[in-house]
Amino acid sequence: MNLLKSEWRKLVYVRAHWGLLIAAILLSALGTGVTPVILENSRDTFGFGLDQQQAVDSVYANAISGYIFAIIIGIMLMAGEFRHGTAVATFLTAPKRGTVLANKLGMAAIAGILVMVISTAAGILAGVVGMSFYPDAADPSSEIFLNTMVAAVVSGAVLGIIGVALGTLIRNQMLAIVGALIYLFVIDPILLLLWPDAGKFLPSGLITGMMALDINSPELGFDTSNYLPALSATLVLLAYGVVFAATAIATSLRRDVE
Amino acid sequence: MTIAISFGDLVKSYGKFNAVDHLTAEVQQGRITGFLGPNGAGKSTTLRCLVGLADPSSGTAEIFGKKYRDLENPLSKVGTVLDSRGFHGALSGKANLKVVAAAAGIPDSRVDEVLQMVELADAADRKMKKYSLGMKQRLALAGAILGDPEVLILDEPANGLDPAGIAWLRKFLRSLASGGRTILVSSHQLAEMQNTVDDVLIINKGKLIAEGPKEQVMGQGTLEEAFLKLTGGELS
Repeated sequence: MNLLKSEWRKLVYVRAHWGLLIAAILLSALGTGVTPVILENSRDTFGFGLDQQQAVDSVYANAISGYIFAIIIGIMLMAGEFRHGTAVATFLTAPKRGTVLANKLGMAAIAGILVMVISTAAGILAGVVGMSFYPDAADPSSEIFLNTMVAAVVSGAVLGIIGVALGTLIRNQMLAIVGALIYLFVIDPILLLLWPDAGKFLPSGLITGMMALDINSPELGFDTSNYLPALSATLVLLAYGVVFAATAIATSLRRDVE
Repeated sequence: MTIAISFGDLVKSYGKFNAVDHLTAEVQQGRITGFLGPNGAGKSTTLRCLVGLADPSSGTAEIFGKKYRDLENPLSKVGTVLDSRGFHGALSGKANLKVVAAAAGIPDSRVDEVLQMVELADAADRKMKKYSLGMKQRLALAGAILGDPEVLILDEPANGLDPAGIAWLRKFLRSLASGGRTILVSSHQLAEMQNTVDDVLIINKGKLIAEGPKEQVMGQGTLEEAFLKLTGGELS
């Protein structure tokens, strides 16, 4: 409990973490606030408009866009220790590294959940405001809000854990963050587009699967029926978390602390 | 005399290079022991092995007969200053210590106490990155005594201190030692060490080359003369 309290203090004392939360809120709110305008004005491109439920659901699904910040906070919680040299104080205070890592992973999961729940809620709220300008729009599906919040909680926890694992493996904070951004924004979408059968098992595909969307846009080559069912996607994403957590603990036990 | 710290045939290798080479030595409880050696002699590596930050390749490094990692609540047994890093620059000195205090289950009131002891109370809420090097060293010392430990391990605590700071450090270490604490301190400032320590350990190229009470190692000369003679004039 002491270590968790210490990790909590590290989380809330560092202003950069608050900046990331604000960025996540803005990104999510921007995503849902602007998507109705884009969808309504590019009906031909997407193949559907706001008079269809799948379009309205896709607006609210954008509320989950802040997940990149959950992984960045996880990276900063771990790699930041090496960047600022605080790893020395941390491991002197609690020399059993497995225990330190377990608490850090726990705090990263909590931080990821908080970031995702707050930013997703803000995104949904912005979506409601954005959709209020289109009174003739279809109603969203009954499960979209619940599914999106569950996806936010699970992805926040798992991505926070993956962030800590990346920070343990790549102790250079900037390199770890840039690597995560390149993966999530470039490599993952490319894999998803080129090999959808494999891509649906990758983080972005799993998060999309967890929201149980029913969207088919042949114009964009996007069909959510290709994704895993919500429960399977949740379990696979959690499995990612377990594998990355185990890797982080195993790695931290072997390396000297500089 | 009780042995507080012991090194048993300690080896730490990086590839084929032995940074610490079969070091066997003991530090007596309740005394200030100077840990001396030229740059690159293996002092810092030895101390890192002692506190569990680096794993020995072979041999042992123990405090009161236990590995650091096996100590129950280590901050209450051992306080460590390895360098002026170890604290987050964007946080205040007080916030940095509160993070450590929370991890060790130490009440926040103790943070104010130690900041007072190292004369940093006025700068407690200032960001650490705005501290001078001397203030950072004092903050590191505050962190080391946070758990009121029996043993202090200090790696170059006088680095960056001006003469007044060095005089303050000497007085501070003496006051800690008078309470029966064991202090193992590494330093290059041999004249200062001569005024401060009771015993010395001298290593060169990872090997122990002298050990014992300061007077015995110095003989008729000064500590600096003895050190230069023993290390072949490699003082840096």
